Amino acid sequence: MSIAAARSESNTQPLAADAALHVRGVAKSFGGLKAVQDFRLSLAPGTICGLIGPNGAGKTTAFNLLTGVYKPDAGEIRLAGRDITGLRPHKITRAGMARTFQNIRLFHNLSALDNLKLACHLRTRQTALDAVLRLPRHAADEQEMTDRCLRLLDLLSLSHRAHDQSRSLPYGEQRRLEIARALATQPKVLLLDEPAAGMNPQEKVALREMIMNLRRTFDLTVLLIEHDMGVVMNLCERITVLNFGQIIAEGPPAEIQRDAKVIEAYLGG
Amino acid sequence: MVPLLVGLALAVIAQLFLAPQLNAYDAGLVLNVGINIILAVSLTIVNGFTGQFSIGHAGFLAVGGYVAGAITYYTSIAIWGNAETHGGLLSSQSLNADTPVWYLARGDVLFAVAVLSGGIVAAGVGYLVGLPSLRLRGDYLAIVTLGFGEIVRVLIQQTSPTAKPQILRLADHPLDGQLVYRWTERTPEGLKTIYTAVDDTSPLRLVTRLGGSLGFADTPDYTSFFWVTLAVVITLVVAFRVKYSTFGRAFLSIREDEIASEAMGVDTTKYKVRAFVLAAFFAGVAGGLYAHFKSMNPNEIGFARSFDFVIMVVLGGLGSISGATIAAIIVTLLPEWLRFLEDYRMIIWSLALILMMIFRPSGLLGVREVWDLWLKPAGKKPAGPGSGGAVGRSDPPAQSPAAASGGTP
Repeated sequence: MSIAAARSESNTQPLAADAALHVRGVAKSFGGLKAVQDFRLSLAPGTICGLIGPNGAGKTTAFNLLTGVYKPDAGEIRLAGRDITGLRPHKITRAGMARTFQNIRLFHNLSALDNLKLACHLRTRQTALDAVLRLPRHAADEQEMTDRCLRLLDLLSLSHRAHDQSRSLPYGEQRRLEIARALATQPKVLLLDEPAAGMNPQEKVALREMIMNLRRTFDLTVLLIEHDMGVVMNLCERITVLNFGQIIAEGPPAEIQRDAKVIEAYLGG
Repeated sequence: MVPLLVGLALAVIAQLFLAPQLNAYDAGLVLNVGINIILAVSLTIVNGFTGQFSIGHAGFLAVGGYVAGAITYYTSIAIWGNAETHGGLLSSQSLNADTPVWYLARGDVLFAVAVLSGGIVAAGVGYLVGLPSLRLRGDYLAIVTLGFGEIVRVLIQQTSPTAKPQILRLADHPLDGQLVYRWTERTPEGLKTIYTAVDDTSPLRLVTRLGGSLGFADTPDYTSFFWVTLAVVITLVVAFRVKYSTFGRAFLSIREDEIASEAMGVDTTKYKVRAFVLAAFFAGVAGGLYAHFKSMNPNEIGFARSFDFVIMVVLGGLGSISGATIAAIIVTLLPEWLRFLEDYRMIIWSLALILMMIFRPSGLLGVREVWDLWLKPAGKKPAGPGSGGAVGRSDPPAQSPAAASGGTP
């Protein structure tokens, strides 16, 4: 703990005000179970960071705390300097942080395009009256959404699927569509929950390249949960390791790979 | 604007050319079909679009109906001294030699204002009922809405009989010869009869005079082919335009996956309440139309009535506006056509519903609209904006909590 704490305060970490996402002392208990304790994180803008740990370590709980699905019991979360602690998920998304889900949560009966257009809703300029009376602003707004979403689909090579029901897409494409949908909310910080789960080695390589490209194109800061060490070590610039709800290590991949505590956590030493 | 003009034209044509062709029984059926279409489509907004499970829709019908009915009944008496219709050609249920020459008269203005007021009050009540949906989902919300419907019914049952005006014949009374309401008041000396002039009666005295368990029967019959057609067209146009817009996608996304919807920036609580308010408004308007066509009766606005609308929505396919429309027509007309079966009518009707739910668990159209069926080739899954494609027979019946529990009735 003390080593990790000392590390996180070393000068390689951005200050709260400069960080794309700054998390301090966040905790959450469910009854007697301390799911996450003293969670801290500081993402420099434009970096790709990883959150790893054995099953049940609290990674997804941490994501749910960051995105407002759970309210933290303690601590502070700042997105680009703005306090978003305890806000409801839609407000956090509006503030510029979007996510994907570990178990895919697409809108299955909607087309791929409509999944993306729904994600544009939060920045819509039309009012309900525009929509009901079909005023020019409605048409312009819908057209703009469609264009933007088609470009996004194109970027993630899903154009051919635009009008297919999202439930009919193959697994890999559903994962990509979820990322596209998150991007449609125009986030500054993107959280990916196990993006490589269920992918074969070629797909994983492609995924890695895609995430790198997306970061460049959209000027993103990325935080991802991943079990696949190949993906994590090659993609992430910094890694945070959770075990039993506590951070046991934090640093660049090379350091994490040598960390005695991490090795112990994974191999059960 | 264009659909409104088309709707107006249709309404005038229905009133002037269709209505005279039908006998009173058939005309009544057609009006009933129209009113039920409005109710089914409005319930689709809550149960179909947002996937909430409301089974208290008759409560909104009752609120709208009683508010609108009370406004026209008591205002008519205050203005014209009686509760007859004072409308024009377009608000006459039967066209004959006595039919006025004017198309719209003062009574129509009163009627339109009353029906809109009924809708607005129902929308306000819808807001209050929508609030618990912030915290409840699935069956729990269903119980709340069921309770709401029953509360409305019981409250209305407790109201007093409607006040009937009379010309006072008491030589020594200052109001002698005037149109008055007669009241019985409890005083320390016992019961006492007092009279108030119709013009001077405070609305507060009349607010609880809604007929109670006897029903509210004396409302003027303004509901005509014109008004019903117009209301149906407006309801359908609004429902479609909401569905095929960014707001419709927000509603649908709540049904599909509330957590993902919230994570994509949709204020799900706000949209659930909005859905309730919009649905309640149209249900209130339908109630207003119903009140000026048949009598409002507490026995007919209970939960059995609410379930009629749930059946229409589930039968049509949750989320399908055209499906709800078609189902409303079938559910209204089929029991009438089955009348020759006499006592076996309801058995056959129930059997038809059960078979329907076994063979098409997702309703007639699923989440599709009618044109999705022939616009898209059969092999390719259709996915119109907002609607998505077929929830086919191969899918498990429990698509959503609403579909699962909707199969029970």
